[in-house]
Amino acid sequence: MALLELADLTRRFGGLVAVDGVTMQVEAGEVRAVIGPNGAGKSTLFNLVTGVLKATAGEVHFDGQRLTGLPAHRICQRGVSRTFQITALFPEMTARENTQLAAQARHPQRWRPLGGGPVFGAAARHGDAALERLGLTPVAERPAGLLSHGDQRLLEVAMALAQQPRLLLLDEPTQGLSVEETAQAVETLSGLLSDGDLTVLLVEHDMEVVFRLAHKITVLHRGAVIADGPPEMVRADAGVQAAYLGGFD
Amino acid sequence: MDFAGFLITQCLNALSQAALLFFLGVGLTLIFGIMRIVNFAHGAFFMLGAYVGYTAVHVTGSFWAALVFAPLAVGLVGAAFELGILRRLYRRDGNAFLMVTFGLTLILGEVIRLIWGVAALEVPAPRSLSGIVFIFDEPFPVYRLFLAASGVVVALAIWQFLERTRLGLLIRATSQNAEMVHALGTDVRLVRSAVFGIGCGLAGVGGVFAAPLVTASLGMAPNAVIDTFVIVIIGGMGSFAGSLIGALLVAFVQVFGTYYFPDLAMAFMYLIMASVLIVRPGGLLGKEI
Amino acid sequence: MVGWRALLLVAVLLAAAPLGLPLYAMTLLTEALILGLFAMSLDLMVGYTRLFSFGHAAAYGLGAYAAGNLLLHTGLPLVFAVLLAALFSGVVAIGVAWVCTLATGVSFSMLTLAFAQLLYAIAFKWTSVTGASDGLAGIPRSPGPFGITIFSTKNGFYYLVLALLIAAYLFCRGLVNSPFGAVLRGIRENEAKTRALGFNTRHYKIAVVAIAYALGGLAGALYAPFAGFTNTELLFWLFSGQVLIMVIVGGAGTLVGPILGAAFFLVVQQYLSSYTDSWALFFGAIFIGFVLFAPQGILGLARRALQPRASKPA
Repeated sequence: MALLELADLTRRFGGLVAVDGVTMQVEAGEVRAVIGPNGAGKSTLFNLVTGVLKATAGEVHFDGQRLTGLPAHRICQRGVSRTFQITALFPEMTARENTQLAAQARHPQRWRPLGGGPVFGAAARHGDAALERLGLTPVAERPAGLLSHGDQRLLEVAMALAQQPRLLLLDEPTQGLSVEETAQAVETLSGLLSDGDLTVLLVEHDMEVVFRLAHKITVLHRGAVIADGPPEMVRADAGVQAAYLGGFD
Repeated sequence: MDFAGFLITQCLNALSQAALLFFLGVGLTLIFGIMRIVNFAHGAFFMLGAYVGYTAVHVTGSFWAALVFAPLAVGLVGAAFELGILRRLYRRDGNAFLMVTFGLTLILGEVIRLIWGVAALEVPAPRSLSGIVFIFDEPFPVYRLFLAASGVVVALAIWQFLERTRLGLLIRATSQNAEMVHALGTDVRLVRSAVFGIGCGLAGVGGVFAAPLVTASLGMAPNAVIDTFVIVIIGGMGSFAGSLIGALLVAFVQVFGTYYFPDLAMAFMYLIMASVLIVRPGGLLGKEI
Repeated sequence: MVGWRALLLVAVLLAAAPLGLPLYAMTLLTEALILGLFAMSLDLMVGYTRLFSFGHAAAYGLGAYAAGNLLLHTGLPLVFAVLLAALFSGVVAIGVAWVCTLATGVSFSMLTLAFAQLLYAIAFKWTSVTGASDGLAGIPRSPGPFGITIFSTKNGFYYLVLALLIAAYLFCRGLVNSPFGAVLRGIRENEAKTRALGFNTRHYKIAVVAIAYALGGLAGALYAPFAGFTNTELLFWLFSGQVLIMVIVGGAGTLVGPILGAAFFLVVQQYLSSYTDSWALFFGAIFIGFVLFAPQGILGLARRALQPRASKPA
């Protein structure tokens, strides 16, 4: 049984079908890239899986349990964490405080109104560990709003990681990064994912990043899956090349 | 008492009330739609319109002159405030506007008190409108008919203004995409000042119209602010049609509610507001706040 | 952050106040502390969670009328009546908050205002409980449990107010430094992200509003026996606006700032009203001035003056 199973997942906005009967299985430990031209429905798919949007039809199952219809915070508590396409951080808090708050969200006593030493301690440990894995320890005490764009994107990943997710959704992690920053980010992510203990769903536009990191690729076009398989297979697929108008190399 | 007569006069009552509320609501919603500013001082501008109208009537002897002059004066005060103060806050978050316009409310209230004193001021309706007409044997003030009719006329005028004129088009465009309008060469800042002035002017119009009915008094501002916000939240912030619907809804609830349940009229209004917000947080026809 | 040594010094000075200050100053000081408590309670919402309430007078009024009724019609000792009234305010607030937090941003603010006005309208009509526009009068400072009567005296009451303010402050300080407080901070800076991290932000908002109302209600409950009367002005929106001004002018998000703001407000009001009737005008202008030029309030200005080097935001 796959860790994440999408069955005929559909989302309509009035007359527009943004996600059209998407069926896919993601195995534990797999890194699955979701690609497609603009407007293909990739971000909507993420929003459906994480509960930000309600599905019009279809089901989402995670580790055998039904996620469809659950509110976003519940889904997150089940072990699904995500990053956003447009950087969403707490700009006045330090990088450390950012990851600490993210880690706190998974603590059973996250709501404690008084005291809270043990909560903060545990959260700090997970938060700092995540910063370390993303190579952000040198800037840990800097306010998040003052970090470079590249570091901010990495901090987003660190926050998701601090939650010790079983499923990690990365929404265009290299968005807006320069060539050098992208290369650096790919190095870091590659090291992160090579441990094999994370299951990742990755939306990306940068094909080089995709081919570096992904085990399998799912291609969306106008909300529907048009190809699904290992990178070489997808690369050679004529339908995919047509969708991208001229293909890619 | 004939039920048909009662029903019709109460409906006309509600329509005249709706007209007043509409003047207030459309100005506030216009300001919010374009500038994302919630003008807490809207009730104070309403009150200012009533007082300036009072003075204009006494100086010129003509209600009609007041109807023209007072809104202009109020609109200018509003535009000046936008130029001087609000402009500095566009980079800050929306709460700054709320606080600053609250401060303005305090200031305007005091200024009015200093200039015109504490006593409520009678503003006579023009002689041509101060009679009574009989509808189905029920007496009904001509002035309220005039008010209801004016509401309809102004609503149509604003609608046409937004749809057909160049400034109206600019205003609608700016509410959707200010940057684009700026890129196309229009000074968005001027549009903003104009809109704020027009919005306050509309509140001033409401004040002049209201004066003969409720007399000009210092208690006008707080009540007007609450009413206006209820309307605009029900109808939706930034929606012209919404302010129309909101005004009608609130007016009818107020008029009929006061008749049947005089003690609960206020409660009804807030219950409606809360219910609408529960079902549709953006108001019935509103944009996101 | 204001150092604990400075706070301890202030607390000691306040405790010693009755020894040196004349009667009228003590009365003013007592009222300042009560208003300070009220303003601090609003700071939890405004400064720490960015929930702007234009209806916080409702909390004050609820506490004042509840305490007034308890003290007038039951034999309950002063301290119990006050605490019970505060609890009442907090419980009512849960319902209010449940509705208000269905909306966000300006809609939230308008809903808080609406509820305060609704309570105002109810208070006007419900003569038997509230005395309508006349309000309640002759509220006694009922003797305490076990025959203690200290709190019925002017100084004794002052110490009660001071003790409760200090206790409330310590509670709030603990709250904002707790995991709960960290979530509030997240909501303040980026609510969508806080939700995305897995926090049910609505619950936290309801909780902070209830706590803010309980503490605001405590202030109102203290006011009733302090002044000996209540009236509908305590529920009026102008009062809600005034306490918001106290918070902003004092310095939002600091707990201590709003207390300073309340004292500042009271003192300036007393001073100005002996010169002119138009103190509302000056307050409006001062408020606008602060919002434009010193949004961090008095405390922010003081901090900048004392630490010319740029320091990390608190």
